[in-house]
Amino acid sequence: MNKLYHARGLHKSYVMGHETVRVLRGATLHVEKGEFLAIMGASGSGKSTLLHILGALDVPDRGTLEFNGQNVLNWSERERRAFRNRQVGFVFQFYHLLPELNLLENVMIAKMVGHSGWQWRFRRHEIRREAEAIVGRIGLTDRAKHRPNELSGGERQRVAIARALINRPTLLLADEPTGNLDEAIGADILKLLVELNEAGQTIVMVTHDTRVASHAHRCVQLSEGVLHEAEQPAGRRGSVPILTKKVAP
Amino acid sequence: MYKWFLAVRYLHTKLIAFFGVAAVTLCVAMVLVVISVMGGFLDTIRARARGLHSEIVLDAGTQQGFPLYDEFSRYLAKHLPDVVRLSTPVIYTYGIFRVPADETTKPVRAMGIRPKEYVQLNDFAKGLQYDHYYPGSTHMGPQQMPLAGFSESGGLRLPPDLEAAHEAWRKQQDPEALAEFDAVPFVYAPYPFETSSSYGQRVFAANAGPPGYVDAELPGLIVGCDLLFHRRPDGKFNRYLARGAMVTLTVLALSPSGNPLGEPPVRLPFRYADDSRTGIFEIDSLTAYVDFDLLQAKLAMDAQTLVDGGVIKPRVNQLLIGLQKGVNLDAGRDQIAVAWADFRKSIASELTKDEQLALNHVEVLTWEDLQRTFIAAVEKEKVLVTFLFALISVVAIVLVGCIFYMIVEKKTKDIGILKSLGASANGVASLFILYAAVVGVVGAILGTVIGSLFVWNINAIQDYLAGLNPALRIWSAEVYSFDRIPEDVKRADVIWIGSAAILSSMVGSLIPSAIAGRIWPVRALRYE
Repeated sequence: MNKLYHARGLHKSYVMGHETVRVLRGATLHVEKGEFLAIMGASGSGKSTLLHILGALDVPDRGTLEFNGQNVLNWSERERRAFRNRQVGFVFQFYHLLPELNLLENVMIAKMVGHSGWQWRFRRHEIRREAEAIVGRIGLTDRAKHRPNELSGGERQRVAIARALINRPTLLLADEPTGNLDEAIGADILKLLVELNEAGQTIVMVTHDTRVASHAHRCVQLSEGVLHEAEQPAGRRGSVPILTKKVAP
Repeated sequence: MYKWFLAVRYLHTKLIAFFGVAAVTLCVAMVLVVISVMGGFLDTIRARARGLHSEIVLDAGTQQGFPLYDEFSRYLAKHLPDVVRLSTPVIYTYGIFRVPADETTKPVRAMGIRPKEYVQLNDFAKGLQYDHYYPGSTHMGPQQMPLAGFSESGGLRLPPDLEAAHEAWRKQQDPEALAEFDAVPFVYAPYPFETSSSYGQRVFAANAGPPGYVDAELPGLIVGCDLLFHRRPDGKFNRYLARGAMVTLTVLALSPSGNPLGEPPVRLPFRYADDSRTGIFEIDSLTAYVDFDLLQAKLAMDAQTLVDGGVIKPRVNQLLIGLQKGVNLDAGRDQIAVAWADFRKSIASELTKDEQLALNHVEVLTWEDLQRTFIAAVEKEKVLVTFLFALISVVAIVLVGCIFYMIVEKKTKDIGILKSLGASANGVASLFILYAAVVGVVGAILGTVIGSLFVWNINAIQDYLAGLNPALRIWSAEVYSFDRIPEDVKRADVIWIGSAAILSSMVGSLIPSAIAGRIWPVRALRYE
């Protein structure tokens, strides 16, 4: 086994009005390199919170987080930002594209965040070529100049995936990636995720839909703040592929 | 890199950015217009004030004047030839100006000048009305009244010397100026009357006989145009008095110690030779210029022999001193002040008590010192108006703050996205500050363009508005010293106003930007 991420005993609570809601109550999870892991749970069960903690967007109240053997919770804010920029790619249910930018720019923005103006000056052509290659891979080359409001839901989610991949992240975190799409287009997106995973991309996907989860290698259920190994729904069962080469988007 | 990219890109599409840009634009345009007009006003005042005097003035500080001016003048010529170009004495006193033709009387400050020297020291010659159209025809010596009449060819003509002077003027004019002149050459007063029934820019007495000169010879007097004539809203004057008409000055002579001499006030008849316009209403509405020697004699300020054989030295109120080219004004003043002190020491033993007292009051001043009160008032007015408008511009900062708070609210999700991509709190905050700077730059550019276009066309705009409704004429030449509103936009003003606008925008966005930077990414991503 090639352990990539190991979360142990995660606790997280929120204060909502006068009430404290305990979302995670000792959730434990490990992710293998090259694995496609689905985290299932009912709406409001804390799936997104768990994903945000895994992506260093949020911090748990208690627990430990180890990424490639390093304690994520000991990292400085600068290291956490670098982690989010280079090691992790987020895909959200509502795409979260920047409406002022066109498709290609939305993909490149992740690179821009990681580069100073000076660095950008020297690498912009190379980065643009990379972005165009990824846009080509998701089949939207002819729409590269279009803005998000000119794209369909499925196209927007593809762009969000492309943006998440441009920095060649070790881990792709997808939060209900098909939740806002109809079945056919959702299937299309899942197919893309599976293809990426087959190419070696580690993916952790949050969903409440068993059909969506069936595309993962492994499935865990978040219930009452604790994760349980769930029976893999019928579909893509199998062993975790052994990563033999650097993941290329 | 994303900060600059998004700061510019946000400007493209957000309607709300339009309001930020509009606020900055309007403030920049407003302040630029105010600064330009007030600055132009101040510059014109300064230029006019400069044109009133020589660079340096030796001022008596008293009405009765000071003696030994000629001696000091020669002393300067001998000891400071590299500093002093020319000096000329001036007398001024207060009296009553009267126009017998219509029995107008006005208080007046009568100035005795030596015209040939006086015009070399300031812009006096430029403001003479008749001398402009009939060059060389204005003087303060004995003169009769010119009378227009019918020549052999049948047209109404002025005396030959005036016609010849006018022909010389015509040769140097462009067709536009000639056409303007020929449209209304002059209006006439039917001799023996000296006033015309209609107003004009030039008025001559006329009769049916040949042109020539009539009535007794009297010394010439140049009157400040606002003293005698009413100024119209378009800046022109309603002249009604024929050139050469008789006017009188009544003045009171003072002894060297400042007491009235005990004789009745002196009533002096003159011919109205010309009118002068310096552009400073306070001067033009109060001053009449006459020959220096004549006024000095009539005020008993010339050399007087006493019964006991003693002599009272001639006195003047000012000695105007022109500096050589390139001499610094303040340095010139200081050198002349030293020369004045040295001169006084050299003659101290020869002075009477009255003379010593008179010299004690004498000050060496620059033209700026002399007009300081007047210029300072306008300067303060400029500062006050600028401050008031700058205060209004603080509203723009608050407005930018409010607009950016709304922008941050609207872009909360973007902030979450950027932070999920690894953007820092400072990076997000600086994105919005840069955005504000971009808004400031665009607003400053647009404001400069709009403000400059407004200033450059301010008179045309006013003329258009006045054409719609005369009550809309804001700048009345009747009230101000200048016919036209100043139309200059200074580059330095543009730079500092633009910079202040950009800085103000950034300051206005500081709080919203700090808020943006502190937004927790998880909250931002869940924001609906």
